[in-house]
Amino acid sequence: MLRISNLSKKFGTKSAVDNVSLDVMRGQFIGVIGRSGAGKSTLLRMINRLAEPSSGSIVWDGTDVTRLKGRELNEWRRRSAMIFQQFNLVGRLDVLNNVLVGRIASTPTWRSMLRLWGDDNRTIALAALAQFDMAGYAAQRAEELSGGQQQRVAICRALLQEPDLILADEPVASLDPRNTKLVMDALLRINKHFGITVLCNLHSLDLARTYCDRLVGLSHGKLVFDDVPEALTDSIARELYGIESDDVLAKQPSTPISDFVPAAAVA
Amino acid sequence: MSANPNQQNIAESLTQVPSEFRYLIKGDRKQRIMASMVVVVMVAFYLLGLYVLEINPLRIITGLGELGKIVWLMLPPDPETWERAIRLLFSLIETISIAFLGTLLAAIIAFPLGFLAARNIVSLRLPQFMMRRGLDSIRGIDTLIWALIWINVVGLGPFAGVLAIMCSDIGSFGKLFSEAIEAADRKPVEGVKSAGGSHLDTIRLGIIPQILPVMLSQVLYYFESNTRSATIIGIVGAGGIGLYLAEQIRTLEWQQASFSILLILIAVALIDALSSRIRFAIIGGQQQ
Repeated sequence: MLRISNLSKKFGTKSAVDNVSLDVMRGQFIGVIGRSGAGKSTLLRMINRLAEPSSGSIVWDGTDVTRLKGRELNEWRRRSAMIFQQFNLVGRLDVLNNVLVGRIASTPTWRSMLRLWGDDNRTIALAALAQFDMAGYAAQRAEELSGGQQQRVAICRALLQEPDLILADEPVASLDPRNTKLVMDALLRINKHFGITVLCNLHSLDLARTYCDRLVGLSHGKLVFDDVPEALTDSIARELYGIESDDVLAKQPSTPISDFVPAAAVA
Repeated sequence: MSANPNQQNIAESLTQVPSEFRYLIKGDRKQRIMASMVVVVMVAFYLLGLYVLEINPLRIITGLGELGKIVWLMLPPDPETWERAIRLLFSLIETISIAFLGTLLAAIIAFPLGFLAARNIVSLRLPQFMMRRGLDSIRGIDTLIWALIWINVVGLGPFAGVLAIMCSDIGSFGKLFSEAIEAADRKPVEGVKSAGGSHLDTIRLGIIPQILPVMLSQVLYYFESNTRSATIIGIVGAGGIGLYLAEQIRTLEWQQASFSILLILIAVALIDALSSRIRFAIIGGQQQ
Protein backbone atom coordinates (compact mmCIF):
# COMPACT_ATOMS: atom_id res chain seq x y z
CA MET A 1 0.00 0.00 0.00
CA LEU A 2 1.12 3.52 -0.80
CA ARG A 3 0.47 6.13 1.86
CA ILE A 4 1.05 9.76 0.98
CA SER A 5 0.94 12.09 4.01
CA ASN A 6 0.95 15.89 4.04
CA LEU A 7 2.93 16.00 0.82
CA SER A 8 3.88 19.48 -0.43
CA LYS A 9 6.04 20.84 -3.19
CA LYS A 10 6.94 24.51 -3.36
CA PHE A 11 8.51 26.29 -6.32
CA GLY A 12 9.72 29.47 -4.66
CA THR A 13 6.70 30.76 -2.80
CA LYS A 14 4.18 29.04 -5.05
CA SER A 15 2.83 25.68 -3.95
CA ALA A 16 2.49 23.16 -6.79
CA VAL A 17 1.25 20.44 -4.44
CA ASP A 18 -0.20 21.59 -1.14
CA ASN A 19 -0.49 19.25 1.83
CA VAL A 20 -1.88 16.24 -0.04
CA SER A 21 -2.67 13.04 1.86
CA LEU A 22 -3.74 9.95 -0.01
CA ASP A 23 -3.88 6.19 0.54
CA VAL A 24 -3.53 4.00 -2.51
CA MET A 25 -4.60 0.35 -2.24
CA ARG A 26 -2.97 -2.40 -4.27
CA GLY A 27 -4.67 -3.10 -7.58
CA GLN A 28 -6.57 0.16 -7.84
CA PHE A 29 -6.84 2.13 -11.06
CA ILE A 30 -6.82 5.71 -9.83
CA GLY A 31 -7.42 8.68 -12.08
CA VAL A 32 -5.90 11.97 -10.97
CA ILE A 33 -7.93 14.79 -12.43
CA GLY A 34 -7.85 18.56 -12.39
CA ARG A 35 -7.11 21.44 -14.69
CA SER A 36 -3.67 22.13 -16.20
CA GLY A 37 -1.26 23.34 -13.55
CA ALA A 38 -3.25 21.82 -10.68
CA GLY A 39 -0.20 19.83 -9.55
CA LYS A 40 -1.12 16.39 -10.97
CA SER A 41 2.18 15.98 -12.77
CA THR A 42 4.26 17.16 -9.80
CA LEU A 43 2.42 14.70 -7.54
CA LEU A 44 3.26 11.72 -9.76
CA ARG A 45 6.83 12.85 -10.32
CA MET A 46 7.36 13.14 -6.58
CA ILE A 47 6.22 9.55 -6.09
CA ASN A 48 8.89 8.35 -8.57
CA ARG A 49 11.30 10.91 -7.06
CA LEU A 50 11.88 12.73 -10.34
CA ALA A 51 10.80 15.72 -8.24
CA GLU A 52 11.81 16.17 -4.62
CA PRO A 53 9.03 16.97 -2.12
CA SER A 54 9.42 20.09 0.01
CA SER A 55 7.74 18.35 2.94
CA GLY A 56 5.62 15.30 3.78
CA SER A 57 6.19 11.63 3.27
CA ILE A 58 5.46 8.88 0.77
CA VAL A 59 5.44 5.48 2.46
CA TRP A 60 5.35 2.20 0.53
CA ASP A 61 4.89 -0.91 2.68
CA GLY A 62 6.50 0.75 5.66
CA THR A 63 9.45 2.40 3.84
CA ASP A 64 9.55 6.18 3.44
CA VAL A 65 10.60 6.47 -0.19
CA THR A 66 11.35 10.19 0.12
CA ARG A 67 14.45 9.27 2.13
CA LEU A 68 15.87 6.68 -0.26
CA LYS A 69 19.27 7.24 -1.84
CA GLY A 70 21.57 5.54 -4.36
CA ARG A 71 20.80 1.91 -5.17
CA GLU A 72 17.70 1.84 -2.98
CA LEU A 73 16.30 4.87 -4.78
CA ASN A 74 16.94 3.25 -8.16
CA GLU A 75 15.22 0.11 -6.90
CA TRP A 76 12.19 2.18 -5.85
CA ARG A 77 12.12 3.87 -9.25
CA ARG A 78 12.06 0.41 -10.84
CA ARG A 79 9.04 -0.49 -8.70
CA SER A 80 7.16 2.73 -9.52
CA ALA A 81 7.30 2.83 -13.30
CA MET A 82 6.61 6.14 -15.06
CA ILE A 83 4.79 6.63 -18.33
CA PHE A 84 5.13 10.11 -19.81
CA GLN A 85 3.04 12.33 -22.03
CA GLN A 86 5.95 12.64 -24.47
CA PHE A 87 6.87 8.92 -24.08
CA ASN A 88 10.49 9.80 -23.13
CA LEU A 89 11.97 7.03 -25.25
CA VAL A 90 15.51 7.20 -26.60
CA GLY A 91 14.65 8.19 -30.16
CA ARG A 92 17.80 6.98 -31.85
CA LEU A 93 17.78 3.62 -30.09
CA ASP A 94 15.78 0.73 -31.53
CA VAL A 95 12.49 -0.33 -29.97
CA LEU A 96 13.88 -3.50 -28.35
CA ASN A 97 16.66 -1.59 -26.61
CA ASN A 98 14.17 0.99 -25.43
CA VAL A 99 12.06 -1.74 -23.85
CA LEU A 100 15.20 -3.25 -22.30
CA VAL A 101 15.86 0.06 -20.54
CA GLY A 102 13.14 -1.24 -18.20
CA ARG A 103 15.75 -3.76 -16.99
CA ILE A 104 18.29 -1.07 -16.16
CA ALA A 105 17.91 -1.21 -12.38
CA SER A 106 18.47 -4.97 -12.29
CA THR A 107 21.40 -4.96 -14.75
CA PRO A 108 25.01 -4.54 -13.57
CA THR A 109 26.61 -1.30 -14.79
CA TRP A 110 29.26 -2.98 -16.94
CA ARG A 111 26.50 -4.84 -18.78
CA SER A 112 24.31 -1.78 -19.32
CA MET A 113 27.35 0.20 -20.55
CA LEU A 114 27.88 -2.40 -23.28
CA ARG A 115 24.14 -2.97 -23.69
CA LEU A 116 24.64 -6.66 -22.94
CA TRP A 117 21.12 -7.35 -21.75
CA GLY A 118 21.29 -11.11 -22.09
CA ASP A 119 19.16 -13.44 -24.19
CA ASP A 120 16.58 -14.03 -21.47
CA ASN A 121 15.85 -10.33 -21.11
CA ARG A 122 15.69 -9.90 -24.87
CA THR A 123 13.16 -12.70 -25.05
CA ILE A 124 11.04 -11.14 -22.32
CA ALA A 125 11.20 -7.75 -24.03
CA LEU A 126 10.11 -9.25 -27.32
CA ALA A 127 7.27 -11.09 -25.61
CA ALA A 128 6.10 -7.84 -23.99
CA LEU A 129 6.15 -6.12 -27.37
CA ALA A 130 4.19 -9.00 -28.89
CA GLN A 131 1.47 -8.52 -26.27
CA PHE A 132 0.80 -5.07 -27.68
CA ASP A 133 1.23 -6.00 -31.35
CA MET A 134 4.57 -4.22 -31.47
CA ALA A 135 7.01 -7.13 -31.96
CA GLY A 136 7.33 -6.34 -35.68
CA TYR A 137 8.82 -2.95 -34.86
CA ALA A 138 11.50 -4.29 -32.49
CA ALA A 139 14.42 -3.42 -34.78
CA GLN A 140 13.13 0.01 -35.78
CA ARG A 141 14.30 3.26 -34.24
CA ALA A 142 11.82 4.52 -31.66
CA GLU A 143 11.69 7.98 -33.23
CA GLU A 144 10.34 6.51 -36.46
CA LEU A 145 7.14 5.28 -34.80
CA SER A 146 3.85 7.13 -34.40
CA GLY A 147 2.87 8.59 -31.04
CA GLY A 148 0.53 5.73 -30.19
CA GLN A 149 3.16 3.15 -31.08
CA GLN A 150 5.79 4.96 -29.03
CA GLN A 151 3.50 5.03 -26.02
CA ARG A 152 2.94 1.28 -26.32
CA VAL A 153 6.73 0.81 -26.39
CA ALA A 154 6.91 2.96 -23.24
CA ILE A 155 4.30 0.71 -21.61
CA CYS A 156 6.41 -2.33 -22.49
CA ARG A 157 9.43 -0.62 -20.94
CA ALA A 158 7.39 -0.01 -17.79
CA LEU A 159 6.30 -3.68 -17.75
CA LEU A 160 9.89 -4.89 -17.95
CA GLN A 161 10.56 -2.99 -14.75
CA GLU A 162 8.19 -5.52 -13.11
CA PRO A 163 6.68 -2.63 -11.17
CA ASP A 164 4.26 -2.64 -8.25
CA LEU A 165 2.93 0.69 -9.38
CA ILE A 166 2.53 2.45 -12.69
CA LEU A 167 2.52 6.25 -12.69
CA ALA A 168 1.10 7.48 -15.97
CA ASP A 169 1.50 11.23 -16.46
CA GLU A 170 -1.05 12.31 -19.09
CA PRO A 171 -0.30 9.19 -21.18
CA VAL A 172 -2.80 10.04 -23.91
CA ALA A 173 -2.63 13.84 -24.03
CA SER A 174 -0.68 13.88 -27.30
CA LEU A 175 -2.55 11.04 -29.00
CA ASP A 176 -5.51 10.83 -31.39
CA PRO A 177 -8.77 9.13 -30.27
CA ARG A 178 -7.94 5.71 -31.73
CA ASN A 179 -4.52 5.59 -30.08
CA THR A 180 -5.98 7.02 -26.89
CA LYS A 181 -8.25 3.97 -26.68
CA LEU A 182 -5.39 1.59 -27.49
CA VAL A 183 -3.15 3.02 -24.80
CA MET A 184 -5.85 3.30 -22.13
CA ASP A 185 -6.95 -0.26 -22.88
CA ALA A 186 -3.34 -1.37 -22.48
CA LEU A 187 -3.11 0.31 -19.07
CA LEU A 188 -6.41 -1.25 -18.02
CA ARG A 189 -5.22 -4.66 -19.14
CA ILE A 190 -2.03 -4.33 -17.10
CA ASN A 191 -4.13 -3.30 -14.13
CA LYS A 192 -6.64 -6.16 -14.42
CA HIS A 193 -4.26 -8.87 -15.70
CA PHE A 194 -1.23 -8.34 -13.48
CA GLY A 195 -2.87 -6.50 -10.61
CA ILE A 196 -0.44 -3.62 -10.96
CA THR A 197 -1.70 -0.47 -9.28
CA VAL A 198 -2.13 2.39 -11.75
CA LEU A 199 -2.11 6.11 -10.97
CA CYS A 200 -3.04 7.96 -14.10
CA ASN A 201 -3.16 11.73 -14.66
CA LEU A 202 -5.97 12.52 -17.04
CA HIS A 203 -7.22 15.75 -18.40
CA SER A 204 -10.35 14.24 -19.91
CA LEU A 205 -13.12 13.49 -17.43
CA ASP A 206 -14.75 11.21 -19.94
CA LEU A 207 -11.72 8.90 -19.94
CA ALA A 208 -11.36 9.14 -16.19
CA ARG A 209 -14.96 8.02 -15.65
CA THR A 210 -14.61 5.21 -18.17
CA TYR A 211 -11.42 3.58 -16.97
CA CYS A 212 -10.81 4.44 -13.34
CA ASP A 213 -12.32 2.86 -10.26
CA ARG A 214 -11.38 5.81 -8.09
CA LEU A 215 -10.92 9.48 -8.89
CA VAL A 216 -8.73 12.00 -7.08
CA GLY A 217 -9.27 15.67 -7.87
CA LEU A 218 -6.61 18.31 -7.43
CA SER A 219 -7.18 22.03 -7.54
CA HIS A 220 -4.37 24.55 -6.96
CA GLY A 221 -2.29 21.74 -5.51
CA LYS A 222 -4.91 20.76 -2.93
CA LEU A 223 -6.82 17.51 -2.80
CA VAL A 224 -10.45 18.47 -3.27
CA PHE A 225 -12.11 15.23 -4.35
CA ASP A 226 -11.50 11.55 -3.59
CA ASP A 227 -14.25 9.09 -4.39
CA VAL A 228 -15.67 6.65 -6.91
CA PRO A 229 -16.29 8.12 -10.39
CA GLU A 230 -20.07 7.97 -9.88
CA ALA A 231 -19.79 10.49 -7.06
CA LEU A 232 -18.29 13.10 -9.35
CA THR A 233 -21.24 15.29 -10.23
CA ASP A 234 -21.20 17.91 -12.93
CA SER A 235 -21.18 20.69 -10.36
CA ILE A 236 -18.09 19.28 -8.62
CA ALA A 237 -16.44 18.88 -12.02
CA ARG A 238 -17.22 22.50 -12.87
CA GLU A 239 -15.62 23.58 -9.63
CA LEU A 240 -12.55 21.43 -10.36
CA TYR A 241 -12.00 22.62 -13.86
CA GLY A 242 -13.27 26.22 -13.72
CA ILE A 243 -13.26 27.83 -17.14
CA GLU A 244 -11.92 24.64 -18.74
CA SER A 245 -14.99 22.68 -17.65
CA ASP A 246 -16.78 22.97 -20.98
CA ASP A 247 -13.84 21.27 -22.69
CA VAL A 248 -13.65 18.29 -20.38
CA LEU A 249 -17.28 17.59 -19.53
CA ALA A 250 -18.71 14.84 -21.66
CA LYS A 251 -20.57 16.03 -24.69
CA GLN A 252 -21.92 12.53 -25.11
CA PRO A 253 -22.74 9.85 -22.55
CA SER A 254 -19.66 7.88 -21.62
CA THR A 255 -19.31 4.31 -22.80
CA PRO A 256 -19.82 1.64 -20.14
CA ILE A 257 -16.55 0.09 -19.08
CA SER A 258 -17.47 -3.42 -20.20
CA ASP A 259 -17.13 -2.29 -23.83
CA PHE A 260 -13.51 -1.43 -23.29
CA VAL A 261 -12.20 -4.29 -21.22
CA PRO A 262 -10.72 -6.94 -23.49
CA ALA A 263 -12.46 -10.28 -23.23
CA ALA A 264 -9.44 -11.91 -21.62
CA ALA A 265 -9.41 -9.42 -18.78
CA VAL A 266 -13.08 -9.86 -17.96
CA ALA A 267 -12.93 -13.62 -17.93
CA MET B 1 -6.46 73.09 -50.25
CA SER B 2 -3.75 70.47 -50.52
CA ALA B 3 -2.90 69.26 -53.97
CA ASN B 4 -2.58 65.74 -52.70
CA PRO B 5 -5.30 64.58 -50.31
CA ASN B 6 -3.48 61.31 -49.72
CA GLN B 7 -0.48 63.09 -48.28
CA GLN B 8 -2.76 64.92 -45.89
CA ASN B 9 -4.33 61.66 -44.72
CA ILE B 10 -0.93 60.15 -44.01
CA ALA B 11 0.19 63.21 -42.05
CA GLU B 12 -3.04 63.06 -40.09
CA SER B 13 -2.74 59.39 -39.16
CA LEU B 14 0.89 59.91 -38.24
CA THR B 15 -0.18 62.19 -35.38
CA GLN B 16 -2.23 59.30 -34.02
CA VAL B 17 0.78 56.95 -33.80
CA PRO B 18 1.97 56.76 -30.18
CA SER B 19 5.12 58.82 -29.80
CA GLU B 20 7.30 55.87 -28.78
CA PHE B 21 6.60 54.12 -32.09
CA ARG B 22 6.88 57.18 -34.31
CA TYR B 23 10.54 56.58 -35.05
CA LEU B 24 9.56 53.41 -36.91
CA ILE B 25 7.91 55.62 -39.51
CA LYS B 26 10.00 58.79 -39.50
CA GLY B 27 13.34 57.10 -38.83
CA ASP B 28 15.28 57.73 -35.68
CA ARG B 29 17.74 60.51 -36.39
CA LYS B 30 19.92 59.64 -33.43
CA GLN B 31 20.31 56.05 -34.63
CA ARG B 32 21.30 57.20 -38.11
CA ILE B 33 23.94 59.56 -36.76
CA MET B 34 25.32 56.75 -34.60
CA ALA B 35 25.48 54.37 -37.56
CA SER B 36 27.38 56.84 -39.73
CA MET B 37 29.73 57.61 -36.84
CA VAL B 38 30.56 53.91 -36.58
CA VAL B 39 31.37 53.77 -40.29
CA VAL B 40 33.59 56.90 -40.06
CA VAL B 41 35.50 55.49 -37.07
CA MET B 42 36.03 52.15 -38.81
CA VAL B 43 37.40 53.80 -41.95
CA ALA B 44 39.71 55.93 -39.79
CA PHE B 45 41.02 52.82 -38.02
CA TYR B 46 41.63 51.14 -41.34
CA LEU B 47 43.64 54.07 -42.66
CA LEU B 48 45.58 54.24 -39.40
CA GLY B 49 46.42 50.55 -39.75
CA LEU B 50 47.70 51.07 -43.30
CA TYR B 51 49.89 53.93 -42.03
CA VAL B 52 51.28 52.04 -39.01
CA LEU B 53 52.14 48.94 -41.04
CA GLU B 54 53.61 51.10 -43.83
CA ILE B 55 51.43 49.42 -46.39
CA ASN B 56 51.82 50.96 -49.78
CA PRO B 57 49.36 49.87 -52.46
CA LEU B 58 52.00 50.70 -55.06
CA ARG B 59 54.07 47.79 -53.82
CA ILE B 60 51.27 45.39 -54.68
CA ILE B 61 51.06 46.79 -58.18
CA THR B 62 54.79 46.51 -58.76
CA GLY B 63 54.75 43.12 -57.04
CA LEU B 64 52.04 41.84 -59.36
CA GLY B 65 54.60 41.47 -62.09
CA GLU B 66 56.73 39.34 -59.78
CA LEU B 67 53.71 37.17 -58.89
CA GLY B 68 52.99 36.68 -62.57
CA LYS B 69 56.61 35.63 -63.09
CA ILE B 70 56.36 33.03 -60.29
CA VAL B 71 53.13 31.63 -61.70
CA TRP B 72 54.78 31.45 -65.11
CA LEU B 73 57.77 29.60 -63.61
CA MET B 74 55.37 27.16 -61.91
CA LEU B 75 53.89 26.00 -65.18
CA PRO B 76 53.64 23.20 -65.93
CA PRO B 77 53.78 21.42 -62.54
CA ASP B 78 56.59 18.95 -62.87
CA PRO B 79 58.33 16.75 -60.28
CA GLU B 80 61.13 16.17 -62.87
CA THR B 81 61.75 12.53 -61.92
CA TRP B 82 59.38 9.67 -61.13
CA GLU B 83 61.35 8.93 -58.04
CA ARG B 84 60.71 12.42 -56.72
CA ALA B 85 57.01 12.20 -57.59
CA ILE B 86 56.66 9.00 -55.60
CA ARG B 87 58.53 10.53 -52.69
CA LEU B 88 56.15 13.49 -52.68
CA LEU B 89 53.16 11.16 -52.85
CA PHE B 90 54.42 9.24 -49.83
CA SER B 91 54.97 12.44 -47.88
CA LEU B 92 51.42 13.46 -48.78
CA ILE B 93 50.21 10.19 -47.30
CA GLU B 94 52.30 11.03 -44.24
CA THR B 95 50.53 14.41 -43.97
CA ILE B 96 47.12 12.74 -44.19
CA SER B 97 48.21 10.21 -41.55
CA ILE B 98 49.31 13.02 -39.24
CA ALA B 99 45.91 14.67 -39.64
CA PHE B 100 44.06 11.37 -39.13
CA LEU B 101 45.99 10.23 -36.06
CA GLY B 102 45.98 13.70 -34.50
CA THR B 103 42.24 14.13 -35.00
CA LEU B 104 41.40 10.64 -33.76
CA LEU B 105 43.56 10.94 -30.63
CA ALA B 106 42.07 14.35 -29.88
CA ALA B 107 38.54 12.96 -30.25
CA ILE B 108 39.24 10.01 -27.95
CA ILE B 109 40.77 12.23 -25.25
CA ALA B 110 38.13 14.95 -25.62
CA PHE B 111 35.22 12.49 -25.32
CA PRO B 112 35.34 12.15 -21.51
CA LEU B 113 36.49 15.77 -21.09
CA GLY B 114 33.42 16.97 -22.98
CA PHE B 115 31.18 15.27 -20.42
CA LEU B 116 33.14 16.81 -17.55
CA ALA B 117 32.67 20.25 -19.09
CA ALA B 118 28.91 19.86 -19.63
CA ARG B 119 26.59 21.63 -17.22
CA ASN B 120 23.92 18.92 -17.34
CA ILE B 121 26.41 16.17 -16.40
CA VAL B 122 28.59 17.74 -13.73
CA SER B 123 26.31 19.34 -11.17
CA LEU B 124 29.15 21.07 -9.32
CA ARG B 125 29.56 24.47 -10.97
CA LEU B 126 33.22 25.12 -10.16
CA PRO B 127 34.90 21.99 -11.65
CA GLN B 128 32.64 22.18 -14.69
CA PHE B 129 33.49 25.84 -15.22
CA MET B 130 37.22 25.20 -14.76
CA MET B 131 37.13 22.33 -17.26
CA ARG B 132 35.37 24.53 -19.80
CA ARG B 133 37.88 27.38 -19.31
CA GLY B 134 40.77 24.88 -19.48
CA LEU B 135 39.53 23.58 -22.82
CA ASP B 136 39.15 27.16 -24.03
CA SER B 137 42.78 27.92 -23.14
CA ILE B 138 44.08 24.84 -24.98
CA ARG B 139 41.99 25.89 -27.96
CA GLY B 140 43.41 29.40 -27.78
CA ILE B 141 46.88 28.14 -28.77
CA ASP B 142 47.16 27.59 -32.50
CA THR B 143 48.28 24.30 -34.05
CA LEU B 144 51.40 25.96 -35.46
CA ILE B 145 52.53 27.06 -31.99
CA TRP B 146 51.86 23.57 -30.60
CA ALA B 147 54.00 22.20 -33.45
CA LEU B 148 56.91 24.48 -32.55
CA ILE B 149 56.60 23.40 -28.91
CA TRP B 150 56.43 19.66 -29.68
CA ILE B 151 59.33 19.79 -32.14
CA ASN B 152 61.46 20.93 -29.22
CA VAL B 153 60.13 18.13 -27.04
CA VAL B 154 60.08 15.06 -29.32
CA GLY B 155 62.24 16.33 -32.18
CA LEU B 156 61.48 16.99 -35.85
CA GLY B 157 59.14 14.67 -37.71
CA PRO B 158 55.56 13.45 -37.98
CA PHE B 159 55.21 12.52 -34.28
CA ALA B 160 55.47 16.20 -33.34
CA GLY B 161 52.83 16.92 -35.99
CA VAL B 162 50.42 14.36 -34.55
CA LEU B 163 50.87 15.78 -31.04
CA ALA B 164 50.41 19.35 -32.29
CA ILE B 165 47.12 18.58 -34.03
CA MET B 166 45.95 16.49 -31.09
CA CYS B 167 46.63 19.28 -28.58
CA SER B 168 44.86 22.08 -30.36
CA ASP B 169 41.90 19.84 -31.23
CA ILE B 170 41.37 18.50 -27.71
CA GLY B 171 40.25 22.00 -26.78
CA SER B 172 37.97 22.40 -29.80
CA PHE B 173 36.45 18.93 -29.53
CA GLY B 174 35.98 19.21 -25.78
CA LYS B 175 34.07 22.43 -26.22
CA LEU B 176 32.00 21.20 -29.18
CA PHE B 177 31.21 17.88 -27.46
CA SER B 178 30.16 19.55 -24.23
CA GLU B 179 27.88 21.90 -26.14
CA ALA B 180 26.31 18.95 -27.97
CA ILE B 181 25.80 17.20 -24.63
CA GLU B 182 24.17 20.29 -23.15
CA ALA B 183 21.86 20.57 -26.15
CA ALA B 184 20.74 16.93 -25.86
CA ASP B 185 17.05 16.27 -25.29
CA ARG B 186 16.27 15.84 -21.58
CA LYS B 187 13.29 13.51 -22.08
CA PRO B 188 15.17 10.26 -22.87
CA VAL B 189 17.41 10.95 -19.86
CA GLU B 190 14.35 11.27 -17.67
CA GLY B 191 12.97 8.06 -19.14
CA VAL B 192 16.08 6.09 -18.19
CA LYS B 193 16.23 7.75 -14.78
CA SER B 194 12.57 6.98 -14.02
CA ALA B 195 13.20 3.27 -14.70
CA GLY B 196 15.90 3.22 -12.01
CA GLY B 197 18.98 3.98 -14.11
CA SER B 198 22.08 5.41 -12.42
CA HIS B 199 23.72 8.66 -13.52
CA LEU B 200 26.08 6.61 -15.70
CA ASP B 201 23.15 4.71 -17.23
CA THR B 202 21.39 7.96 -18.17
CA ILE B 203 24.57 9.11 -19.93
CA ARG B 204 25.11 5.83 -21.74
CA LEU B 205 21.52 5.21 -22.83
CA GLY B 206 19.91 8.66 -22.69
CA ILE B 207 22.62 11.00 -23.98
CA ILE B 208 25.23 9.09 -25.98
CA PRO B 209 22.82 7.74 -28.62
CA GLN B 210 21.70 11.32 -29.23
CA ILE B 211 25.12 12.95 -29.50
CA LEU B 212 27.21 10.25 -31.19
CA PRO B 213 26.20 11.20 -34.75
CA VAL B 214 26.84 14.88 -34.00
CA MET B 215 30.29 14.05 -32.61
CA LEU B 216 31.19 11.84 -35.57
CA SER B 217 30.30 14.52 -38.06
CA GLN B 218 32.35 17.09 -36.13
CA VAL B 219 35.35 14.75 -36.06
CA LEU B 220 35.12 14.16 -39.80
CA TYR B 221 34.91 17.86 -40.46
CA TYR B 222 38.01 18.46 -38.37
CA PHE B 223 39.91 15.66 -40.10
CA GLU B 224 39.24 17.44 -43.35
CA SER B 225 40.45 20.81 -42.12
CA ASN B 226 43.39 19.22 -40.30
CA THR B 227 44.73 17.88 -43.59
CA ARG B 228 45.35 21.51 -44.50
CA SER B 229 46.79 22.32 -41.03
CA ALA B 230 49.12 19.31 -41.27
CA THR B 231 50.61 20.75 -44.46
CA ILE B 232 51.33 24.06 -42.72
CA ILE B 233 52.93 22.50 -39.66
CA GLY B 234 55.06 20.39 -42.01
CA ILE B 235 56.69 23.64 -43.12
CA VAL B 236 58.08 24.22 -39.60
CA GLY B 237 59.43 20.67 -39.52
CA ALA B 238 56.63 18.52 -38.18
CA GLY B 239 56.76 16.02 -41.04
CA GLY B 240 54.75 15.45 -44.19
CA ILE B 241 54.62 17.17 -47.54
CA GLY B 242 54.85 20.65 -46.01
CA LEU B 243 58.53 20.04 -45.33
CA TYR B 244 59.21 19.38 -49.03
CA LEU B 245 57.08 22.32 -50.12
CA ALA B 246 59.00 24.72 -47.87
CA GLU B 247 62.28 23.36 -49.25
CA GLN B 248 61.13 23.69 -52.86
CA ILE B 249 60.07 27.31 -52.36
CA ARG B 250 63.33 28.15 -50.61
CA THR B 251 65.42 26.69 -53.43
CA LEU B 252 63.16 28.29 -56.07
CA GLU B 253 62.13 24.93 -57.58
CA TRP B 254 58.82 26.42 -58.69
CA GLN B 255 57.68 23.57 -60.93
CA GLN B 256 58.19 21.05 -58.15
CA ALA B 257 56.44 23.38 -55.69
CA SER B 258 53.40 23.66 -57.95
CA PHE B 259 53.33 19.88 -58.29
CA SER B 260 53.26 19.56 -54.48
CA ILE B 261 50.50 22.15 -54.24
CA LEU B 262 48.52 20.30 -56.88
CA LEU B 263 48.84 17.05 -54.91
CA ILE B 264 47.62 18.79 -51.74
CA LEU B 265 44.66 20.32 -53.59
CA ILE B 266 43.62 16.96 -55.00
CA ALA B 267 43.95 15.25 -51.59
CA VAL B 268 41.96 17.93 -49.79
CA ALA B 269 39.23 17.85 -52.45
CA LEU B 270 38.99 14.06 -52.21
CA ILE B 271 38.79 14.06 -48.41
CA ASP B 272 36.29 16.90 -48.53
CA ALA B 273 34.01 15.00 -50.90
CA LEU B 274 34.34 11.75 -48.98
CA SER B 275 33.78 13.22 -45.53
CA SER B 276 30.80 15.31 -46.54
CA ARG B 277 29.25 12.16 -47.99
CA ILE B 278 29.86 10.22 -44.78
CA ARG B 279 28.63 13.10 -42.64
CA PHE B 280 25.48 13.36 -44.70
CA ALA B 281 24.93 9.62 -44.38
CA ILE B 282 25.28 9.80 -40.59
CA ILE B 283 23.01 12.78 -40.07
CA GLY B 284 20.61 11.90 -42.87
CA GLY B 285 20.19 8.44 -41.32
CA GLN B 286 17.72 10.03 -38.93
CA GLN B 287 15.08 10.38 -41.60
CA GLN B 288 15.41 6.88 -42.99
